[in-house]
Amino acid sequence: MNFLDYLASNSQQILFLTQAHFLVVLIAVGIGSAISVALGLAVSTGEPDPRRFSLDWFATGIREGGLVFTAALLTVPSLALFALFLPITGLGVTTAIIVLTIYTLYTVLRNTVAGLTTVDRAILESARGLGYGRLRRLLTIQLPLAWPVILNGIRVTTLISISIAVVGAVVQGPGLGILLLNGISRIGAANSFYQVLAGTLLCLVVAAVFEIFFAIVQRLTIPRGIRV
Amino acid sequence: MSETTDQPVVETPDGAGKPDMIVLEGVEKIYPGSTQPAVSQLDLSIPQGEIVMLIGPSGCGKTTTLKMINRLIEPTSGRILLDGKDVTHVNGDQLRREIGYVIQQGGLFPHFSIADNIGVVPKMLGWDKQRIRQRADELLHLVGLEPSTFRDRYPRQLSGGQQQRVGVARALAADPPVMLMDEPFGAIDPITRDRLQDEFLEIQRTVGKTIAFVTHDLQEAVKLGDKIAVFATGRLEQYDDPDTVLTRPANDFVSDFVGGGAAVRRLSLLELAHLELHPIETDEAGAGGAAGRNGTAVAEVDGSGKPVSWRHLPGGDATGVPLVTVPISGTVYDAVDVMLDSSASLVAVVDEEGRAQGVLHWNDLVGGLRTRERDA
Repeated sequence: MNFLDYLASNSQQILFLTQAHFLVVLIAVGIGSAISVALGLAVSTGEPDPRRFSLDWFATGIREGGLVFTAALLTVPSLALFALFLPITGLGVTTAIIVLTIYTLYTVLRNTVAGLTTVDRAILESARGLGYGRLRRLLTIQLPLAWPVILNGIRVTTLISISIAVVGAVVQGPGLGILLLNGISRIGAANSFYQVLAGTLLCLVVAAVFEIFFAIVQRLTIPRGIRV
Repeated sequence: MSETTDQPVVETPDGAGKPDMIVLEGVEKIYPGSTQPAVSQLDLSIPQGEIVMLIGPSGCGKTTTLKMINRLIEPTSGRILLDGKDVTHVNGDQLRREIGYVIQQGGLFPHFSIADNIGVVPKMLGWDKQRIRQRADELLHLVGLEPSTFRDRYPRQLSGGQQQRVGVARALAADPPVMLMDEPFGAIDPITRDRLQDEFLEIQRTVGKTIAFVTHDLQEAVKLGDKIAVFATGRLEQYDDPDTVLTRPANDFVSDFVGGGAAVRRLSLLELAHLELHPIETDEAGAGGAAGRNGTAVAEVDGSGKPVSWRHLPGGDATGVPLVTVPISGTVYDAVDVMLDSSASLVAVVDEEGRAQGVLHWNDLVGGLRTRERDA
């Protein structure tokens, strides 16, 4: 039996696992990005005045604290984090999605903060001078101008998530990890290498599909005036 | 459209009789953590329809003063009145929608089309789409940009000068009585800046806004201002018309700031149209006999009436003297520039069609320029 024969005879299972992998990543990145972008927007402020106490201090504190915390989470080995959630959420999809979501937070939050703070100050100043309130300015000027940077963060975090999702198989999370884990545990046995190879290649296919998806999203959501 | 084209044309820098549109009363700004006020106890009144130039060295409080008028910066104490109404404590965002605001490079929103940029304030004020579109086209016309070409473009597709024009159009969009301009022409090359300044004055002649204008360029202040307010470290040192600031500085600071060359700068205040010029006569090219008119310069004109060369000059030889012209809409400064440029000791002043109206001699400059009786 060669590789192609293997693929042909197991096509249904492989297709199912690929779809599951895609969906798990999509859901986790979706939830994680929504949380991070919302948090990034909520705590976006100018530099707080060091001589005067204001709400800006809280925002800045949450922002910096959030960055440190999510960065720390990102450095926890994925195998460990999946295992740590086992007693709480048990085996299965839920644990996989929660852990994956946690890994998406840092990159998107970091890029949201960076994108919002690097918007040209002269533009924000003129918006204020024309009578834009804080919220209107944030949502109609700052966010659209920061969007390319934020979207890039989401894109990077998606690619990272595709490989982390593989590890989700240890908690019986859905996806191509099942194929890889199975292959590795039976290494030397019949078709075990083909399983590993198929799992790896289809991760690349999932990544390619996401790249195409993001190219389209970029095209549709980045305003024409700032498209490069 | 409530375009105020029926506003009387503002020509003389004379504010008497006009009501004050912007009044600052004892306004002070002390930034938190600082003991020195950035602006201290400032009283300033700007009459309706006038351009007041706020000028001074950096850190003098001119920009702080400007931004306190629309409360981008909240004054620590004092009162701000707009058109007689105390606006010191009204909602800042709503106040700013009723005041035009222009900054360097226009501060356009890069992700909005030109029409949308111009329409931001009308949109916030709840105008309907049709009216906003019409207004954008109207204003693009006013600032000299063809609406069909520019309305759907984006800011990055425009040159710096064009962006600045759009910035002015955007500030005028909701027809505010007051405009604040923060070094709008500061980052623009000198030639374009000069043209923008001319256009700006042209626009002001039709819209007649009350304008506070921050600049660090004395030449610009003299050219555009009906009045100049000279600031030094938070204090207003002199508030007068440009001529007075240049010729009679109130104190050493102003005189230092104005510096040398005040007499030369003053030349740009003297409009050729208001001068008593020497008469000029014209002859068709090829026509003979210009003798006997010893006291009057005679120029040879081409078919369309434009002077091309000197045929006779009083008390001198006309051969070898180049005939140069300056438009009558210009100032003595322009005339001197033309004369120096072409090494000519006299210049023909021409009207819009290029026909000669009179002659200005180099000697007139030192002999005293005679101004025509001005209509009161």
